[in-house]
Amino acid sequence: MTAPRTSLRVGMVCPYSFDVPGGVQNHVLGLARYLRQAGHRPYVLAPGELGAATEGLDVEEFVSVGTAMPVRYNGSVARVNFGPLSAARVGRWLRKGRFDVLHIHEPITPSISLLALWAAEQPVVATFHAATPRSRSMQLAGGVLRGAIEKIDAGIAVSESARNVVVQHLGRDAVVIPNGIEFDDFARWRPSTGQEQLAGSPRSSDHPKLIFLGRLDEPRKGLDVLLAAVPLIMKTRPDLEVIVAGQGNRPLPEWCCSLGMINPEAKIALLNSADVFVAPHLARESFGIVLLEAMASGVPIVASELPSFLDVLGSPRDEGRLGEVFAAGDPDALAASVLRVLDRPNPVRTLRAREAARRYDWSAVGATVVAVYRAALSAAPAPWAEMSIG
Amino acid sequence: MSLEILDLVIIVALIIGWRITWLATRVDRANVRAERTWAALDAALVRRAQRALELVLMTGIDPATALLVSDAANAALEPNLSRHDREHAESYLSHVLDAVGSMLPGSSSRLEAECARASICRRLHNDAVATALSLRRRRTVRILKLAGRAIEPRPFEMADGDMCTLTAGPPDSPPSSLPYVRPIVSAAEPRAPAIGETGQPA
Repeated sequence: MTAPRTSLRVGMVCPYSFDVPGGVQNHVLGLARYLRQAGHRPYVLAPGELGAATEGLDVEEFVSVGTAMPVRYNGSVARVNFGPLSAARVGRWLRKGRFDVLHIHEPITPSISLLALWAAEQPVVATFHAATPRSRSMQLAGGVLRGAIEKIDAGIAVSESARNVVVQHLGRDAVVIPNGIEFDDFARWRPSTGQEQLAGSPRSSDHPKLIFLGRLDEPRKGLDVLLAAVPLIMKTRPDLEVIVAGQGNRPLPEWCCSLGMINPEAKIALLNSADVFVAPHLARESFGIVLLEAMASGVPIVASELPSFLDVLGSPRDEGRLGEVFAAGDPDALAASVLRVLDRPNPVRTLRAREAARRYDWSAVGATVVAVYRAALSAAPAPWAEMSIG
Repeated sequence: MSLEILDLVIIVALIIGWRITWLATRVDRANVRAERTWAALDAALVRRAQRALELVLMTGIDPATALLVSDAANAALEPNLSRHDREHAESYLSHVLDAVGSMLPGSSSRLEAECARASICRRLHNDAVATALSLRRRRTVRILKLAGRAIEPRPFEMADGDMCTLTAGPPDSPPSSLPYVRPIVSAAEPRAPAIGETGQPA
Protein backbone atom coordinates (compact mmCIF):
# COMPACT_ATOMS: atom_id res chain seq x y z
CA MET A 1 0.00 0.00 0.00
CA THR A 2 1.37 3.36 -0.92
CA ALA A 3 1.36 6.18 1.56
CA PRO A 4 -1.56 8.52 0.98
CA ARG A 5 -0.79 11.68 -0.90
CA THR A 6 -1.43 14.50 1.52
CA SER A 7 -1.06 17.42 -0.87
CA LEU A 8 -4.36 18.39 -2.42
CA ARG A 9 -5.09 19.49 -5.96
CA VAL A 10 -7.56 22.27 -5.42
CA GLY A 11 -9.50 23.74 -8.31
CA MET A 12 -10.69 27.22 -7.45
CA VAL A 13 -13.33 29.04 -9.42
CA CYS A 14 -13.59 32.79 -9.12
CA PRO A 15 -16.59 34.32 -10.93
CA TYR A 16 -15.12 37.80 -11.17
CA SER A 17 -12.32 39.00 -13.36
CA PHE A 18 -8.91 39.74 -11.90
CA ASP A 19 -8.70 42.78 -14.17
CA VAL A 20 -10.53 44.69 -11.49
CA PRO A 21 -9.79 44.56 -7.79
CA GLY A 22 -12.42 43.12 -5.48
CA GLY A 23 -12.96 41.28 -2.27
CA VAL A 24 -13.67 37.90 -3.81
CA GLN A 25 -10.67 38.11 -6.13
CA ASN A 26 -8.36 39.05 -3.28
CA HIS A 27 -9.72 36.20 -1.23
CA VAL A 28 -9.06 33.70 -4.01
CA LEU A 29 -5.51 34.96 -4.49
CA GLY A 30 -4.76 35.00 -0.79
CA LEU A 31 -6.08 31.49 -0.36
CA ALA A 32 -4.15 30.25 -3.41
CA ARG A 33 -0.98 31.73 -1.98
CA TYR A 34 -1.61 30.08 1.38
CA LEU A 35 -2.38 26.71 -0.20
CA ARG A 36 0.84 26.73 -2.16
CA GLN A 37 2.86 27.62 0.93
CA ALA A 38 1.14 24.81 2.80
CA GLY A 39 2.24 22.35 0.11
CA HIS A 40 -1.00 22.00 -1.82
CA ARG A 41 -1.54 22.70 -5.47
CA PRO A 42 -4.12 25.40 -6.22
CA TYR A 43 -5.43 26.01 -9.73
CA VAL A 44 -7.52 29.06 -10.48
CA LEU A 45 -10.19 29.50 -13.12
CA ALA A 46 -11.45 33.03 -13.63
CA PRO A 47 -12.60 35.39 -16.37
CA GLY A 48 -10.31 38.00 -17.85
CA GLU A 49 -6.56 38.19 -17.73
CA LEU A 50 -4.09 38.21 -14.92
CA GLY A 51 -3.72 41.76 -13.69
CA ALA A 52 -1.14 43.40 -11.52
CA ALA A 53 -3.09 42.17 -8.52
CA THR A 54 -2.27 38.57 -9.33
CA GLU A 55 1.45 38.80 -8.74
CA GLY A 56 2.72 35.69 -7.11
CA LEU A 57 0.29 33.40 -8.86
CA ASP A 58 1.94 31.09 -11.36
CA VAL A 59 0.55 31.49 -14.82
CA GLU A 60 0.28 27.73 -15.25
CA GLU A 61 -2.02 27.68 -12.27
CA PHE A 62 -4.30 30.22 -13.82
CA VAL A 63 -6.75 29.59 -16.62
CA SER A 64 -8.93 32.28 -18.11
CA VAL A 65 -12.37 31.58 -19.49
CA GLY A 66 -12.12 34.59 -21.73
CA THR A 67 -13.33 38.14 -21.62
CA ALA A 68 -15.98 38.87 -19.09
CA MET A 69 -19.12 40.79 -19.70
CA PRO A 70 -20.28 43.52 -17.32
CA VAL A 71 -23.71 42.82 -15.82
CA ARG A 72 -25.66 44.31 -13.00
CA TYR A 73 -26.10 41.83 -10.22
CA ASN A 74 -26.72 42.18 -6.51
CA GLY A 75 -26.50 45.96 -6.55
CA SER A 76 -23.19 46.39 -8.30
CA VAL A 77 -21.70 45.83 -11.70
CA ALA A 78 -19.93 42.52 -11.96
CA ARG A 79 -17.93 41.26 -14.87
CA VAL A 80 -18.83 37.64 -15.34
CA ASN A 81 -19.06 34.88 -17.95
CA PHE A 82 -21.91 32.70 -18.97
CA GLY A 83 -23.27 30.95 -22.03
CA PRO A 84 -22.47 27.69 -23.80
CA LEU A 85 -18.92 28.65 -24.74
CA SER A 86 -18.02 29.39 -21.15
CA ALA A 87 -19.75 26.19 -20.05
CA ALA A 88 -17.62 24.17 -22.47
CA ARG A 89 -14.43 25.82 -21.23
CA VAL A 90 -15.36 25.20 -17.63
CA GLY A 91 -16.06 21.55 -18.43
CA ARG A 92 -12.69 21.15 -20.15
CA TRP A 93 -10.85 22.75 -17.25
CA LEU A 94 -12.57 20.41 -14.82
CA ARG A 95 -11.73 17.32 -16.86
CA LYS A 96 -8.11 18.27 -17.39
CA GLY A 97 -7.55 19.40 -13.83
CA ARG A 98 -8.47 16.12 -12.07
CA PHE A 99 -8.93 18.05 -8.85
CA ASP A 100 -9.30 16.41 -5.48
CA VAL A 101 -11.62 19.13 -4.39
CA LEU A 102 -13.34 21.95 -6.22
CA HIS A 103 -13.63 25.21 -4.32
CA ILE A 104 -16.23 27.49 -5.88
CA HIS A 105 -16.60 31.08 -4.83
CA GLU A 106 -19.99 32.77 -4.96
CA PRO A 107 -21.60 29.61 -6.37
CA ILE A 108 -25.02 31.06 -6.92
CA THR A 109 -24.17 33.86 -9.32
CA PRO A 110 -24.91 33.82 -13.05
CA SER A 111 -21.31 32.99 -13.82
CA ILE A 112 -18.67 30.30 -14.32
CA SER A 113 -19.13 29.48 -10.64
CA LEU A 114 -22.62 28.18 -11.25
CA LEU A 115 -21.46 26.45 -14.43
CA ALA A 116 -18.66 24.74 -12.54
CA LEU A 117 -21.03 23.68 -9.77
CA TRP A 118 -23.32 22.25 -12.40
CA ALA A 119 -20.57 20.25 -14.09
CA ALA A 120 -18.66 19.18 -10.98
CA GLU A 121 -18.12 15.52 -10.24
CA GLN A 122 -15.64 15.85 -7.40
CA PRO A 123 -16.42 17.05 -3.87
CA VAL A 124 -17.48 20.68 -3.92
CA VAL A 125 -16.69 23.26 -1.29
CA ALA A 126 -18.43 26.57 -1.86
CA THR A 127 -17.74 29.92 -0.25
CA PHE A 128 -20.59 32.40 0.05
CA HIS A 129 -19.28 35.94 0.15
CA ALA A 130 -22.07 38.38 -0.51
CA ALA A 131 -24.02 37.61 -3.61
CA THR A 132 -26.47 35.11 -2.25
CA PRO A 133 -29.73 35.65 -4.04
CA ARG A 134 -32.86 36.49 -2.13
CA SER A 135 -35.66 33.95 -2.00
CA ARG A 136 -37.57 35.42 -4.89
CA SER A 137 -35.02 34.91 -7.61
CA MET A 138 -34.43 31.46 -6.15
CA GLN A 139 -38.08 30.54 -6.60
CA LEU A 140 -38.09 31.86 -10.14
CA ALA A 141 -35.05 29.85 -11.09
CA GLY A 142 -36.75 26.81 -9.59
CA GLY A 143 -35.57 23.26 -9.38
CA VAL A 144 -32.51 23.70 -11.56
CA LEU A 145 -30.91 26.04 -9.06
CA ARG A 146 -32.08 23.90 -6.13
CA GLY A 147 -30.38 20.93 -7.71
CA ALA A 148 -27.17 22.92 -8.06
CA ILE A 149 -27.28 24.06 -4.46
CA GLU A 150 -27.74 20.48 -3.34
CA LYS A 151 -24.49 19.55 -5.06
CA ILE A 152 -22.48 21.60 -2.59
CA ASP A 153 -20.79 19.23 -0.14
CA ALA A 154 -19.54 21.84 2.27
CA GLY A 155 -20.56 25.47 2.50
CA ILE A 156 -18.39 28.22 3.90
CA ALA A 157 -19.73 31.66 4.78
CA VAL A 158 -17.37 34.55 5.35
CA SER A 159 -19.33 35.97 8.28
CA GLU A 160 -22.23 35.14 10.56
CA SER A 161 -24.42 37.49 8.55
CA ALA A 162 -23.46 35.79 5.30
CA ARG A 163 -24.26 32.44 6.94
CA ASN A 164 -27.68 33.67 8.01
CA VAL A 165 -28.50 34.51 4.41
CA VAL A 166 -27.39 31.04 3.30
CA VAL A 167 -29.52 29.40 5.97
CA GLN A 168 -32.61 31.49 5.36
CA HIS A 169 -32.60 31.75 1.61
CA LEU A 170 -30.89 28.59 0.45
CA GLY A 171 -31.90 26.24 3.26
CA ARG A 172 -28.31 25.10 3.57
CA ASP A 173 -25.80 25.54 6.34
CA ALA A 174 -22.27 26.86 6.22
CA VAL A 175 -19.17 26.87 8.37
CA VAL A 176 -18.16 30.42 9.17
CA ILE A 177 -14.59 31.11 8.13
CA PRO A 178 -13.67 34.77 7.80
CA ASN A 179 -11.65 36.23 4.96
CA GLY A 180 -7.93 36.23 5.47
CA ILE A 181 -5.44 39.06 5.40
CA GLU A 182 -1.68 39.15 5.01
CA PHE A 183 -1.26 40.45 8.50
CA ASP A 184 2.49 40.92 8.36
CA ASP A 185 2.33 43.02 5.20
CA PHE A 186 0.18 45.55 6.97
CA ALA A 187 1.71 45.35 10.39
CA ARG A 188 5.39 45.27 9.56
CA TRP A 189 5.64 49.04 9.31
CA ARG A 190 4.93 49.58 12.94
CA PRO A 191 6.78 48.33 15.97
CA SER A 192 4.95 45.31 17.21
CA THR A 193 5.19 46.31 20.85
CA GLY A 194 3.23 49.45 20.09
CA GLN A 195 5.11 51.32 22.81
CA GLU A 196 5.82 54.06 20.43
CA GLN A 197 2.14 54.47 19.81
CA LEU A 198 1.34 54.43 23.47
CA ALA A 199 3.90 57.15 24.04
CA GLY A 200 2.12 59.37 21.58
CA SER A 201 1.02 59.05 18.01
CA PRO A 202 4.05 59.11 15.75
CA ARG A 203 2.00 59.54 12.62
CA SER A 204 0.39 62.92 12.13
CA SER A 205 3.07 65.48 12.47
CA ASP A 206 0.80 68.31 11.49
CA HIS A 207 -2.54 67.65 9.79
CA PRO A 208 -4.77 64.84 10.87
CA LYS A 209 -5.21 62.54 7.92
CA LEU A 210 -8.52 60.82 7.16
CA ILE A 211 -8.65 58.10 4.55
CA PHE A 212 -11.27 56.21 2.59
CA LEU A 213 -10.63 53.14 0.43
CA GLY A 214 -13.12 51.76 -2.05
CA ARG A 215 -14.87 52.45 -5.30
CA LEU A 216 -15.66 56.13 -5.58
CA ASP A 217 -18.65 55.79 -7.88
CA GLU A 218 -20.49 53.00 -6.13
CA PRO A 219 -23.17 54.43 -3.83
CA ARG A 220 -23.10 51.52 -1.41
CA LYS A 221 -19.50 52.24 -0.51
CA GLY A 222 -20.88 55.37 1.10
CA LEU A 223 -18.41 58.01 -0.07
CA ASP A 224 -21.31 60.49 -0.29
CA VAL A 225 -21.94 60.16 3.42
CA LEU A 226 -18.30 60.84 4.14
CA LEU A 227 -18.18 63.85 1.83
CA ALA A 228 -21.26 65.27 3.54
CA ALA A 229 -19.67 64.77 6.94
CA VAL A 230 -16.28 66.31 6.22
CA PRO A 231 -17.45 69.98 6.33
CA LEU A 232 -18.91 69.26 9.77
CA ILE A 233 -15.58 67.85 10.94
CA MET A 234 -13.70 70.77 9.43
CA LYS A 235 -15.62 73.21 11.62
CA THR A 236 -13.55 71.97 14.55
CA ARG A 237 -10.63 70.55 12.61
CA PRO A 238 -9.99 72.94 9.70
CA ASP A 239 -6.61 71.33 9.06
CA LEU A 240 -8.10 67.89 8.28
CA GLU A 241 -6.60 66.16 5.28
CA VAL A 242 -8.99 63.91 3.35
CA ILE A 243 -7.55 61.25 1.06
CA VAL A 244 -9.62 58.84 -0.98
CA ALA A 245 -8.28 55.96 -3.05
CA GLY A 246 -10.24 53.72 -5.33
CA GLN A 247 -11.51 53.10 -8.80
CA GLY A 248 -14.09 55.25 -10.50
CA ASN A 249 -14.62 58.78 -11.68
CA ARG A 250 -16.72 61.30 -9.93
CA PRO A 251 -16.52 65.02 -9.14
CA LEU A 252 -14.89 65.59 -5.77
CA PRO A 253 -14.68 68.72 -3.62
CA GLU A 254 -11.35 70.49 -3.83
CA TRP A 255 -10.36 69.64 -0.23
CA CYS A 256 -10.55 65.98 -1.12
CA CYS A 257 -7.39 64.42 -2.49
CA SER A 258 -7.99 61.45 -4.75
CA LEU A 259 -5.20 59.00 -5.49
CA GLY A 260 -7.22 56.92 -7.95
CA MET A 261 -6.56 53.21 -8.01
CA ILE A 262 -3.52 52.32 -5.95
CA ASN A 263 -1.40 49.19 -5.79
CA PRO A 264 -1.19 47.06 -2.64
CA GLU A 265 2.12 48.57 -1.56
CA ALA A 266 0.73 52.08 -1.80
CA LYS A 267 -2.35 50.99 0.09
CA ILE A 268 -0.25 49.66 2.93
CA ALA A 269 1.77 52.85 3.06
CA LEU A 270 -1.37 54.97 3.00
CA LEU A 271 -3.01 53.01 5.80
CA ASN A 272 0.12 53.29 7.86
CA SER A 273 0.25 57.06 7.48
CA ALA A 274 -3.39 57.73 8.36
CA ASP A 275 -4.87 59.01 11.60
CA VAL A 276 -8.37 57.77 11.04
CA PHE A 277 -9.84 55.23 8.65
CA VAL A 278 -13.47 55.67 7.69
CA ALA A 279 -15.66 52.87 6.33
CA PRO A 280 -18.98 54.59 5.60
CA HIS A 281 -20.51 51.68 3.65
CA LEU A 282 -24.27 51.74 3.36
CA ALA A 283 -25.26 48.15 2.86
CA ARG A 284 -24.43 44.67 1.79
CA GLU A 285 -20.83 44.54 2.69
CA SER A 286 -20.33 40.84 3.24
CA PHE A 287 -17.09 41.14 5.06
CA GLY A 288 -15.03 44.02 6.35
CA ILE A 289 -11.70 43.07 4.84
CA VAL A 290 -10.65 46.72 4.47
CA LEU A 291 -11.51 47.12 8.10
CA LEU A 292 -9.19 44.28 9.07
CA GLU A 293 -6.38 45.62 6.93
CA ALA A 294 -6.78 49.01 8.57
CA MET A 295 -6.84 47.35 11.99
CA ALA A 296 -3.67 45.42 11.17
CA SER A 297 -2.03 48.70 10.15
CA GLY A 298 -2.87 50.23 13.48
CA VAL A 299 -5.19 52.99 12.24
CA PRO A 300 -8.13 54.00 14.42
CA ILE A 301 -11.39 52.89 12.80
CA VAL A 302 -14.67 54.68 12.23
CA ALA A 303 -17.21 52.39 10.56
CA SER A 304 -20.91 52.31 9.83
CA GLU A 305 -23.02 49.98 11.88
CA LEU A 306 -23.34 47.11 9.43
CA PRO A 307 -23.72 43.55 10.74
CA SER A 308 -20.57 42.38 9.00
CA PHE A 309 -18.54 45.26 10.43
CA LEU A 310 -19.90 44.59 13.89
CA ASP A 311 -18.85 40.95 13.50
CA VAL A 312 -15.30 42.25 13.27
CA LEU A 313 -15.45 45.20 15.67
CA GLY A 314 -17.79 43.92 18.33
CA SER A 315 -21.25 45.09 19.31
CA PRO A 316 -21.90 48.84 19.54
CA ARG A 317 -22.99 48.44 23.17
CA ASP A 318 -19.83 46.56 23.95
CA GLU A 319 -17.33 48.60 25.95
CA GLY A 320 -14.51 46.67 24.36
CA ARG A 321 -15.43 47.22 20.75
CA LEU A 322 -12.48 47.84 18.54
CA GLY A 323 -13.52 51.01 16.72
CA GLU A 324 -16.11 53.77 16.60
CA VAL A 325 -19.37 52.88 14.89
CA PHE A 326 -22.14 55.15 13.66
CA ALA A 327 -25.58 54.71 12.11
CA ALA A 328 -25.04 53.91 8.43
CA GLY A 329 -25.83 56.85 6.17
CA ASP A 330 -25.78 59.50 8.92
CA PRO A 331 -23.16 62.21 8.20
CA ASP A 332 -23.66 63.91 11.60
CA ALA A 333 -22.97 60.70 13.46
CA LEU A 334 -19.97 60.03 11.23
CA ALA A 335 -18.54 63.48 11.94
CA ALA A 336 -19.05 63.05 15.68
CA SER A 337 -17.31 59.67 15.61
CA VAL A 338 -14.33 61.00 13.67
CA LEU A 339 -13.97 63.91 16.08
CA ARG A 340 -14.08 61.55 19.03
CA VAL A 341 -11.26 59.55 17.52
CA LEU A 342 -9.15 62.62 16.70
CA ASP A 343 -9.73 64.41 20.00
CA ARG A 344 -9.30 61.47 22.30
CA PRO A 345 -6.88 59.02 20.75
CA ASN A 346 -7.19 55.57 22.31
CA PRO A 347 -3.92 53.78 21.56
CA VAL A 348 -4.83 50.80 23.71
CA ARG A 349 -7.89 50.17 21.65
CA THR A 350 -5.89 50.54 18.45
CA LEU A 351 -3.45 47.95 19.68
CA ARG A 352 -6.22 45.58 20.68
CA ALA A 353 -7.78 46.02 17.24
CA ARG A 354 -4.47 45.11 15.74
CA GLU A 355 -4.11 41.97 17.79
CA ALA A 356 -7.67 41.05 16.85
CA ALA A 357 -6.75 41.45 13.18
CA ARG A 358 -3.86 39.05 13.64
CA ARG A 359 -6.34 36.21 14.12
CA TYR A 360 -7.45 36.73 10.53
CA ASP A 361 -4.03 36.06 9.11
CA TRP A 362 -4.05 33.50 6.29
CA SER A 363 -1.98 31.10 8.37
CA ALA A 364 -4.97 30.57 10.66
CA VAL A 365 -7.80 31.12 8.19
CA GLY A 366 -6.29 29.01 5.41
CA ALA A 367 -5.68 26.07 7.74
CA THR A 368 -9.34 26.08 8.65
CA VAL A 369 -10.35 26.08 5.00
CA VAL A 370 -8.15 23.02 4.43
CA ALA A 371 -9.85 21.34 7.40
CA VAL A 372 -13.15 21.85 5.61
CA TYR A 373 -11.65 20.33 2.42
CA ARG A 374 -10.61 17.27 4.41
CA ALA A 375 -13.99 16.99 6.07
CA ALA A 376 -15.75 17.19 2.70
CA LEU A 377 -13.38 14.58 1.30
CA SER A 378 -13.94 12.25 4.22
CA ALA A 379 -17.62 12.11 3.31
CA ALA A 380 -16.91 11.54 -0.39
CA PRO A 381 -16.83 8.23 -2.28
CA ALA A 382 -13.75 6.05 -2.61
CA PRO A 383 -11.30 7.79 -4.92
CA TRP A 384 -11.52 10.96 -2.86
CA ALA A 385 -12.08 9.71 0.65
CA GLU A 386 -8.47 8.63 0.99
CA MET A 387 -7.39 12.24 0.52
CA SER A 388 -9.14 13.20 3.71
CA ILE A 389 -6.21 12.36 5.93
CA GLY A 390 -3.93 15.31 6.31
CA MET B 1 -57.20 17.09 -34.10
CA SER B 2 -56.88 14.00 -31.98
CA LEU B 3 -53.29 13.72 -33.16
CA GLU B 4 -52.57 17.16 -31.78
CA ILE B 5 -54.03 16.15 -28.44
CA LEU B 6 -51.96 13.01 -28.49
CA ASP B 7 -48.85 15.09 -29.14
CA LEU B 8 -49.71 17.28 -26.24
CA VAL B 9 -50.29 14.34 -23.94
CA ILE B 10 -46.95 12.84 -24.93
CA ILE B 11 -45.13 16.10 -24.32
CA VAL B 12 -46.76 16.56 -20.93
CA ALA B 13 -45.97 12.98 -20.00
CA LEU B 14 -42.35 13.45 -21.01
CA ILE B 15 -42.06 16.60 -18.95
CA ILE B 16 -43.61 14.96 -15.91
CA GLY B 17 -41.40 11.92 -16.35
CA TRP B 18 -38.31 14.06 -16.61
CA ARG B 19 -39.26 16.01 -13.52
CA ILE B 20 -39.83 12.85 -11.51
CA THR B 21 -36.54 11.34 -12.62
CA TRP B 22 -34.79 14.55 -11.74
CA LEU B 23 -36.41 14.64 -8.32
CA ALA B 24 -35.53 10.99 -7.73
CA THR B 25 -31.89 11.77 -8.58
CA ARG B 26 -31.87 14.58 -6.08
CA VAL B 27 -33.48 12.47 -3.36
CA ASP B 28 -30.98 9.71 -3.96
CA ARG B 29 -28.06 12.09 -3.88
CA ALA B 30 -29.32 13.65 -0.67
CA ASN B 31 -29.78 10.25 0.98
CA VAL B 32 -26.32 9.12 -0.05
CA ARG B 33 -24.78 12.31 1.24
CA ALA B 34 -26.58 12.02 4.57
CA GLU B 35 -25.20 8.48 4.96
CA ARG B 36 -21.69 9.39 3.92
CA THR B 37 -21.49 12.45 6.11
CA TRP B 38 -22.69 10.32 9.01
CA ALA B 39 -19.91 7.82 8.38
CA ALA B 40 -17.42 10.70 8.27
CA LEU B 41 -18.77 12.20 11.48
CA ASP B 42 -18.77 8.84 13.20
CA ALA B 43 -15.14 8.29 12.24
CA ALA B 44 -14.17 11.80 13.31
CA LEU B 45 -15.83 11.34 16.71
CA VAL B 46 -14.10 8.00 17.22
CA ARG B 47 -10.76 9.57 16.37
CA ARG B 48 -11.44 12.38 18.79
CA ALA B 49 -12.12 9.98 21.63
CA GLN B 50 -9.06 7.93 20.73
CA ARG B 51 -6.85 11.01 20.73
CA ALA B 52 -8.19 11.94 24.14
CA LEU B 53 -7.35 8.45 25.41
CA GLU B 54 -3.87 8.50 23.89
CA LEU B 55 -3.14 11.79 25.55
CA VAL B 56 -4.07 10.43 28.93
CA LEU B 57 -2.00 7.31 28.47
CA MET B 58 1.07 8.94 27.04
CA THR B 59 1.70 11.95 29.21
CA GLY B 60 2.06 12.15 32.92
CA ILE B 61 -1.00 14.09 33.87
CA ASP B 62 -2.51 13.74 37.29
CA PRO B 63 -4.52 10.57 37.89
CA ALA B 64 -7.77 12.37 38.67
CA THR B 65 -7.80 14.18 35.34
CA ALA B 66 -6.70 11.01 33.59
CA LEU B 67 -9.59 9.09 35.10
CA LEU B 68 -12.09 11.77 34.17
CA VAL B 69 -10.94 11.98 30.55
CA SER B 70 -10.55 8.24 30.00
CA ASP B 71 -13.97 7.59 31.52
CA ALA B 72 -15.64 10.10 29.20
CA ALA B 73 -13.67 8.90 26.16
CA ASN B 74 -14.44 5.26 26.86
CA ALA B 75 -18.11 6.05 27.30
CA ALA B 76 -18.10 7.71 23.89
CA LEU B 77 -16.29 4.75 22.34
CA GLU B 78 -18.76 2.23 23.77
CA PRO B 79 -20.04 0.10 20.88
CA ASN B 80 -23.74 -0.20 20.08
CA LEU B 81 -24.82 2.96 21.79
CA SER B 82 -28.23 4.22 20.79
CA ARG B 83 -28.21 7.47 18.90
CA HIS B 84 -29.53 9.32 21.89
CA ASP B 85 -26.94 7.86 24.25
CA ARG B 86 -24.18 8.56 21.77
CA GLU B 87 -25.20 12.21 21.60
CA HIS B 88 -25.02 12.38 25.37
CA ALA B 89 -21.70 10.60 25.61
CA GLU B 90 -20.08 12.81 22.97
CA SER B 91 -21.46 15.98 24.58
CA TYR B 92 -20.11 14.80 27.91
CA LEU B 93 -16.69 14.21 26.38
CA SER B 94 -16.79 17.74 24.96
CA HIS B 95 -17.54 19.16 28.39
CA VAL B 96 -14.80 17.15 30.03
CA LEU B 97 -12.27 18.20 27.40
CA ASP B 98 -13.28 21.82 27.92
CA ALA B 99 -12.89 21.47 31.65
CA VAL B 100 -9.46 19.89 31.50
CA GLY B 101 -8.32 21.72 28.38
CA SER B 102 -6.02 24.14 30.14
CA MET B 103 -4.38 21.31 32.11
CA LEU B 104 -3.51 19.23 29.08
CA PRO B 105 0.09 19.32 27.98
CA GLY B 106 1.27 21.19 24.90
CA SER B 107 0.93 18.17 22.66
CA SER B 108 -2.86 18.51 22.74
CA SER B 109 -2.89 20.36 19.42
CA ARG B 110 -3.69 17.10 17.64
CA LEU B 111 -6.65 16.60 19.88
CA GLU B 112 -7.79 20.13 19.15
CA ALA B 113 -7.44 19.40 15.45
CA GLU B 114 -9.66 16.33 15.80
CA CYS B 115 -12.18 18.36 17.77
CA ALA B 116 -12.31 20.99 15.05
CA ARG B 117 -12.61 18.29 12.43
CA ALA B 118 -15.49 16.63 14.27
CA SER B 119 -17.23 19.96 14.60
CA ILE B 120 -16.97 20.62 10.87
CA CYS B 121 -18.11 17.07 10.05
CA ARG B 122 -21.12 17.47 12.30
CA ARG B 123 -22.07 20.68 10.56
CA LEU B 124 -21.79 18.97 7.17
CA HIS B 125 -23.84 16.00 8.35
CA ASN B 126 -26.68 18.04 9.83
CA ASP B 127 -26.73 20.15 6.70
CA ALA B 128 -27.02 17.03 4.55
CA VAL B 129 -29.75 15.66 6.79
CA ALA B 130 -31.71 18.91 6.50
CA THR B 131 -31.52 18.74 2.71
CA ALA B 132 -32.61 15.09 2.65
CA LEU B 133 -35.52 15.68 5.01
CA SER B 134 -36.79 18.70 3.12
CA LEU B 135 -36.80 16.65 -0.08
CA ARG B 136 -38.51 13.72 1.61
CA ARG B 137 -41.25 15.95 2.87
CA ARG B 138 -42.31 16.88 -0.67
CA ARG B 139 -45.63 15.49 -1.69
CA THR B 140 -44.36 13.97 -4.94
CA VAL B 141 -41.55 12.24 -3.10
CA ARG B 142 -43.91 10.82 -0.46
CA ILE B 143 -46.62 9.67 -2.84
CA LEU B 144 -44.25 8.03 -5.31
CA LYS B 145 -42.01 6.76 -2.48
CA LEU B 146 -38.97 8.18 -4.26
CA ALA B 147 -36.91 7.85 -1.10
CA GLY B 148 -37.19 4.07 -1.44
CA ARG B 149 -36.25 2.09 1.62
CA ALA B 150 -33.54 4.49 2.80
CA ILE B 151 -33.87 5.13 6.50
CA GLU B 152 -34.96 8.62 7.37
CA PRO B 153 -31.78 10.43 8.47
CA ARG B 154 -31.62 12.39 11.71
CA PRO B 155 -29.43 15.30 12.70
CA PHE B 156 -26.77 14.54 15.29
CA GLU B 157 -27.06 16.95 18.19
CA MET B 158 -24.26 17.40 20.62
CA ALA B 159 -22.25 20.09 22.35
CA ASP B 160 -19.13 20.75 20.34
CA GLY B 161 -17.43 22.30 23.32
CA ASP B 162 -15.26 25.40 23.42
CA MET B 163 -12.17 23.51 22.48
CA CYS B 164 -13.90 22.07 19.47
CA THR B 165 -15.77 25.06 18.16
CA LEU B 166 -12.59 26.81 17.21
CA THR B 167 -12.06 26.59 13.56
CA ALA B 168 -8.32 26.44 13.64
CA GLY B 169 -5.68 24.01 14.70
CA PRO B 170 -6.94 21.54 12.11
CA PRO B 171 -4.86 18.67 10.77
CA ASP B 172 -2.82 20.77 8.38
CA SER B 173 -1.84 23.57 10.66
CA PRO B 174 1.65 23.51 12.04
CA PRO B 175 1.74 23.07 15.81
CA SER B 176 2.54 26.65 16.50
CA SER B 177 1.44 29.31 18.89
CA LEU B 178 -0.61 31.03 16.24
CA PRO B 179 -3.62 32.75 17.63
CA TYR B 180 -6.64 30.91 16.41
CA VAL B 181 -9.68 32.14 14.62
CA ARG B 182 -12.61 31.03 16.66
CA PRO B 183 -15.77 32.49 15.21
CA ILE B 184 -17.51 29.25 14.23
CA VAL B 185 -20.44 28.99 16.60
CA SER B 186 -21.24 28.73 20.22
CA ALA B 187 -23.20 25.69 21.28
CA ALA B 188 -26.00 27.97 22.41
CA GLU B 189 -26.51 29.42 18.96
CA PRO B 190 -29.84 28.74 17.30
CA ARG B 191 -29.30 25.76 15.11
CA ALA B 192 -29.25 26.22 11.37
CA PRO B 193 -32.02 25.26 9.03
CA ALA B 194 -35.11 24.41 10.94
CA ILE B 195 -35.96 22.14 8.04
CA GLY B 196 -34.56 19.03 9.68
CA GLU B 197 -36.23 19.62 12.96
CA THR B 198 -39.73 20.86 12.50
CA GLY B 199 -41.31 17.51 11.93
CA GLN B 200 -39.18 15.59 14.39
CA PRO B 201 -38.83 12.08 12.99
CA ALA B 202 -40.13 9.40 15.28
